[in-house]
Amino acid sequence: MLSKTITLENETGLHARPATELAKIAMKYPCDIKLIANGKTVNAKSPLMIMSAGIKQKTDVEIQCDGEQEEEAMKEIEEAFKNNFGE
Amino acid sequence: MLKGNGVSKGIGIGHTQVLKDEEVKLTDFKVEDRENEFKFFKKCLNEVIEDTKKVTEKLSGTEADIMNAYLMILQDPTLTSETERLIKEDGYNAGYATKVGFENVEEVFKNMDDEYMSARASDIQDMKQKVLNKIMNKEELDLSNLPENTILVGKDLSTSDTAKLNLKSIAGLIIENGSENSHVSIMARTHEIPAIVGAKGATKKLNNDEFIAMNGSTGEVFERPSEDELDSLTKIQKSLDEEKGNLSKYIKRKSITKDGYKTEVVANIGSPKDMDAVIANGAEGVGLFRSEFLYMDSDSMPTEEQQFKAYKEVLERAEGKRVIVRTLDIGGDKDLKYMHLDKEDNPFLGYRAIRICLREPEIFKVQLRALLRASVYGKLAIMLPMISSIDEIREAKKIIEEVKEELKSKKIKFDKNVKVGIMIEIPSAAIMAEELAKECDFFSIGTNDLIQYTVAVERGNEKISDLYTKFHPAVIRLVKMAIDGAHKSKIFCGMCGEAAADERYIPILVGLGLDEFSMNPTKMLSARKMIRSLSHKECKKIAHEVLRMNSAKEIKAKMTEYVKELKEGNENKFAKDKELKEQN
Repeated sequence: MLSKTITLENETGLHARPATELAKIAMKYPCDIKLIANGKTVNAKSPLMIMSAGIKQKTDVEIQCDGEQEEEAMKEIEEAFKNNFGE
Repeated sequence: MLKGNGVSKGIGIGHTQVLKDEEVKLTDFKVEDRENEFKFFKKCLNEVIEDTKKVTEKLSGTEADIMNAYLMILQDPTLTSETERLIKEDGYNAGYATKVGFENVEEVFKNMDDEYMSARASDIQDMKQKVLNKIMNKEELDLSNLPENTILVGKDLSTSDTAKLNLKSIAGLIIENGSENSHVSIMARTHEIPAIVGAKGATKKLNNDEFIAMNGSTGEVFERPSEDELDSLTKIQKSLDEEKGNLSKYIKRKSITKDGYKTEVVANIGSPKDMDAVIANGAEGVGLFRSEFLYMDSDSMPTEEQQFKAYKEVLERAEGKRVIVRTLDIGGDKDLKYMHLDKEDNPFLGYRAIRICLREPEIFKVQLRALLRASVYGKLAIMLPMISSIDEIREAKKIIEEVKEELKSKKIKFDKNVKVGIMIEIPSAAIMAEELAKECDFFSIGTNDLIQYTVAVERGNEKISDLYTKFHPAVIRLVKMAIDGAHKSKIFCGMCGEAAADERYIPILVGLGLDEFSMNPTKMLSARKMIRSLSHKECKKIAHEVLRMNSAKEIKAKMTEYVKELKEGNENKFAKDKELKEQN
C-alpha cells in the first residue's frame, strides 16, 4: 500500500467539478483508492463521497492506493492535486 | 365559484396548465418480486441519466462543466446504494426506497457547514424528483415552452420558476398562496399579466387543459365560461386597453403640475428583465432597484461578477437616467436559506438589511465593488435600507470609502460622483431627518415599512389590516418631516412605497414638496397623468388642511372626495371644450 499526504491548494476546495475530476482519475485504476481528511476516510472513486468530506483549501489530504497499479494511480492523482484540477 | 384576490388587472382567457403538488404521497408498502422492482428502479434511473446526457451534449463552457459534474454524481453508485439496499434486502417499493435513500444523502450535504456544499443538497433533491417522476410516470413540465394563452395554476410559483417562464405565452396566473406584495404578484404587475393569488383549492378544482377565463381585478375565475360571460369580459379588457391607449400619450411628457412644479416619476424594479416595462412606460429613471433578486434566485451568495453584470445591464438600458440601487435588504420576511439566519421572534425588528451588511462587511463589500465597477456605465446612486441612526450612515460610508480606495489601488475605474442616500422607513430616521440629511445625498421614503413601524401593525396580518393605513396622520407628519429635512440640506426626497402611486395620496405628496415618485412601472403613466392635472398651489393648501386633521378615516374620505371632484371637473371641462368646438 502506498500513502502520501498532500495539501489541497485549490481555492474553492474539493467542490463538484474537482471532485468529479478526481473520481474520474481514480476510476481508471483497479486498486483501492482512499482519501483521508478532516478525520474522514472516503472512497476516491465516488465523487459524492469526496464532496461529502467537505475538503477545503489548505487541508492536508492523505491519499492511500492499495493494489494493482497503485504506483501509477498515486502518480496521476498527485499530478492532479499539483495542477489544482485544472482550475 | 373559485375566487381569490385580484392582484394584477386584466382579463385572461385560455387553457389551464396546473402545477400539481410535487410532494407525491409515497407509502412504505413492500413488494413480492424484489428482483423485478430493482430492475424497474434501475430502468428509471438510467432514463434520467440518458435524459441528462442529452441536455448536457447541447451545452458548452461552465454550464457543461456543471452538468457533467451533476451527471457523474447521478452515476455514482454511492448515491443509490441505500435505495438499492432498501429494495433488495428490505423489499420496499421503488418509489419509497428512492425517497428515503436519496433523502439520506441529501441530509449529509444539508448538514455540512459549507454554504456551497449545503446548497448541493438541492441538486440531490432535484435528482430524487426526476427519478420519482419516472417511477410515477410523470413528465416534467417545460415552463419555458408552454403553448400560447396558457393560464398557469399552482400552489406557489418560486422565483426560479418565474425566471424560466416565457412570459409571452402566459395569459394569466392563478396561485393558491401569496399576497398582493409577494414576488409573483409584483412580477405579474410589472409584466402586465392578469393574476389572482390566494385562490384556495385552485390546483384541486381545476384540471389540465381546461378552457377558463379570469379577471385579475376582481379575482374571479370562470370555469367553462358562457358566451355572455366571455362577452362581458372582453368588453372589460377593451376598456382596459383603451385606458392604456389614452395613457400612452403621457409616455414622453414631463411629470409637472399645471402651475409648473417639477417632479419625477420613476420605476421600482426587481431585475434587469423589468427594464422593458420601464422603457415602455416612459420612466424618468429607476427610483428603486431591489437587489435582493440576485441573492434570492441563487443557492449561494451571488459573485461580484454576476452582480456587476446585472447592474451594468440596468445602467446601460437606463441611458444616462439615474438608477438608484438599494443594497441588500434581506431578513424580515425575506429569508436566504444559505445565509443560515437565526429564527427570530420578531424578524421585522431584528437582524436585517443594513444591520447585516455592517456586521458582515465582507458580504457588503462584494456588492459595493460590483456597484462601483458598474457605475461607469450610467448614473448610479446607492441607497441604504433600514437606517435608524446617523452612526449607521457614517459606518456604511466608511466601508464604501474603503472599497473605493481598494479599486483605486487596483486602478479600476468608477464614477467618483456616485450619490449615497438612505431609505426613510423607520420612524427614528424620519424624526431625525434634518440631521441625517447632512450626511447623505438623497432620501427615499419607504412607506410600506414606515407605516408598519409607525402604527405597529404587521402588513401581512389580515385581521388588523384596517389599521395599516398610509392616511394615518402620524405617517403623514413623518413624511413631512422627511421631506422638510431633506430640503433644508438641499437634497432631494423621493418615495418608493405603494403610496407614491395612489392618486388619493399624490396630491398630499405634491403639496408637501416630494421630488420623486417611484412605483411599479405599470402605474407610472396614470400617476404622471394625475400629477399633470394638479395645481401645486392647491395641493399645498390640501396638505396644510390634512396636517391639521386627526383621523385617518377622515383624511381618506377627504382625499377620495377630492379625487372624485377633480376627475368630474376634468370631464366637465372636457365636455365644455367639446361643446365650444361644436358651436364654432
